[in-house]
Amino acid sequence: MSEANIELIAPSQMRRNWLMLWRQMPLSFRIGSLILVVHLLVAVTGPFWAPYGYSQMGAGPPLSGMSLAHPFGVDQLGRDVFSRVVRGSWIVISLSLAGTLLGMLIGAIVGLLSGYVGGWIDEIVQRVLEALISIPFLVLALIAIAAAGPEYSGNPVLLVLVVALVYAPRIARMARTAAIDIATRDYVTVARLRGEKAWSVMCWELLPNATGVLLVEFALRAGYAPVLIGSLGFLGFGLRPPTPEWGLMISENRALLIVCPSTVLGPGLALASLVVGLNLFTEGLARVLGRTVKLGTQ
Amino acid sequence: MQIWLLIVRRIVLSAVTLLLVSAFVFSVLEVLPGDVATRILGRDATPEALLLLREQLGLNQSSMIRYIHWLGGLLTGDLGRSLVSSRSVSEILAPRIFNTLALSVYAFLLYLPLTVIPAVVQALKRDMAVDHALSVVTLVLLSMPDFLLATILLLAFVLWIPVLPAISLVDDTSSYVEYLRAMTLPAATLAIVMAVYAVRMLRDNLIEVLDSDYIRMAELKGLSRGRVLLRHALPNALVPTLNVTALNLAYLIGGVVVVERVFSYPGFGTLLVDSLQLRDLPVIEATVMIAALVYVSANLLADIAAILLNPRLRTA
Repeated sequence: MSEANIELIAPSQMRRNWLMLWRQMPLSFRIGSLILVVHLLVAVTGPFWAPYGYSQMGAGPPLSGMSLAHPFGVDQLGRDVFSRVVRGSWIVISLSLAGTLLGMLIGAIVGLLSGYVGGWIDEIVQRVLEALISIPFLVLALIAIAAAGPEYSGNPVLLVLVVALVYAPRIARMARTAAIDIATRDYVTVARLRGEKAWSVMCWELLPNATGVLLVEFALRAGYAPVLIGSLGFLGFGLRPPTPEWGLMISENRALLIVCPSTVLGPGLALASLVVGLNLFTEGLARVLGRTVKLGTQ
Repeated sequence: MQIWLLIVRRIVLSAVTLLLVSAFVFSVLEVLPGDVATRILGRDATPEALLLLREQLGLNQSSMIRYIHWLGGLLTGDLGRSLVSSRSVSEILAPRIFNTLALSVYAFLLYLPLTVIPAVVQALKRDMAVDHALSVVTLVLLSMPDFLLATILLLAFVLWIPVLPAISLVDDTSSYVEYLRAMTLPAATLAIVMAVYAVRMLRDNLIEVLDSDYIRMAELKGLSRGRVLLRHALPNALVPTLNVTALNLAYLIGGVVVVERVFSYPGFGTLLVDSLQLRDLPVIEATVMIAALVYVSANLLADIAAILLNPRLRTA
C-alpha cells in the first residue's frame, strides 16, 4: 500500500521540482532555451518533414515570392528556400558545435596547464596565444583555408578545424586566467605536495573547478560559430553549393534581394534567431552560475 | 620610473607578438602547403611557368633564408611585388588603406552618437519600457551577423528609401560627395555593429555612476540634470568603455573584410578577399601583417592609456 503511494506521489513531485527550478531561472535563460529547443527540433526532425529536397529544382516558379506553399519564396533555380533553410539547420548547428567543442578541448588543456605550470613555458605559450589572437578571427580563418589549399575547400572537416583554430587561443587565454586563480587554493597545494603530476592536477583539481568558466565560455563561443561559418560561406570560402548553409544561401540569393527579399531574409532570420537564442541562453547561464559575461567580445 | 618600465615592457612584448605573427603567417602560407608554385599555378601548369615562378619567389632557397629576406623587406617597407599584376605591393595597398581609413573614420564618427545617445536614454529611463525595448534591440543587433545587417540596410536604402547607392564603387575621379554617399551604408553598418557592444556596457556604467555619492551630491547642490549628466556622470562612465573602443577597433579590421565585400567598396578588406581568390601571396601576407599591426598597436595604446590613467600605478 505504502509503496503504491510513493509511486503515485514521486513523479508529480519531481515534475513540481523541475517546474520550480524552471521558474527560478532568469527570464533570458528561459527564452533562450526555448528558442534553442525549437532550433534543435527543426535540426533533428527537419529532414523528415521538409516539403522539398535541398537541391530539388522545380519546386515552384523561380523567383515567386512568399506564399503558403513556399514561406521563404523560391530561388533562381526553382528550389524551395524554406526547405533549404530547414535542411541546412543541422549542418550549421553540428559544424558549430563540433568546431567549438574541439577548440574548447585544445584551448582548455593548453590554458589550464600553462597557467598551472607557469614559468617560462607559460610565458612562451602566452606569446603564441597573443600572436594568434592579434590576427582578426575572420582573417585567421581565411588564411587557414587558403593554406589548406583548393583540394580541401568546401570540406566540412576543414571548417570544423578552422573554427577550432580560431577559438582555441581565445579559450586558452580564459582558461589560463582561471587556472592561475584556482592554483592558489589550498586543495591544489595539497595535491602538489602529494606529488601529483601537472596533468593529473589539471584533470582532477583544475578542470572540475573551472567548469563554470568553461561552460559560459563554451556557450559564448558556440553562439558566434554559426556567424563565423556563415561569414566564410558568404565570402565564398566556406561550404560549397548546393549545400544549404545559411551564409552561403544569403550570398547566393543576394542578387535577388530586390526581386524576392524573402529568399535572403529567410536564411537571415534562421541565423539571427539561432544566435539570439544562444546569446540569451549564455547570458542566463552566466547569471545562474554567478558569473558576468560580456556578450559580443569576439 | 616604474611606469616607464611598464610601458617599455608592453612595447617590447608587442614587438615580440608581431614577430611571432610574421613567422606564423609565413609558415602557414609559404612553408606548410609544400610546393607553393604548384599551389599558385594549379596542377596543370607547364614546367617552364613553374620554374619561372619558383625563381620569382626565390623558392630555390631554404625557407629560413626566404623568411629572413621577407622579414627584412617588411621592416624596411619593401613589401615585394604582386604575382598577378607585377605592381609593387605597397603601390596596390596605399589607395586601399586610404579608402579603408576614410571608411573607419566615418564609421567612428557615426559610432559615437550611436553609442552615447541610446545609453544615456537607457540609463535615465532605467527599467522603464524604453530601456527594455532598447535592450532587446541591442541584443538582436548584437546577434545579427554583419553581412546580414549590411544586406538588410542595403535592402532598406535601395528598395524602400532610395537615396543611397547600392554599390560603393569609387576611384580617384570620384568627388567628395560621391565618396561620402558611397561610404555611408558601409560606415553605418560598421558603426551599428560596434555601437551595440558599447551601448550595453556604457548603460551599465552610467547607472553605476548615477547611483554614486558624488552624483547625489551634485544633484543636491542644485545642478541641472543635464549638467550633472554631461559634466559629472558621462566622463566617468566613459573611461571603462575605452577598452571596448580598442576591442571595436580590432573588430573593425576584421569587419571591413565582410562589409566592404557586401558593398563592393574598394578597400583593404576587398583586397584581401580578392588576393586570396587569386592566391597572390605577397599581397595576402602584407594585408594580414597590417591587420595584425593595427590590432597590436590599438591594444598597446589602450594598455598605455590604462597605465597612465591608473592612479595606483603612478606612485608605485
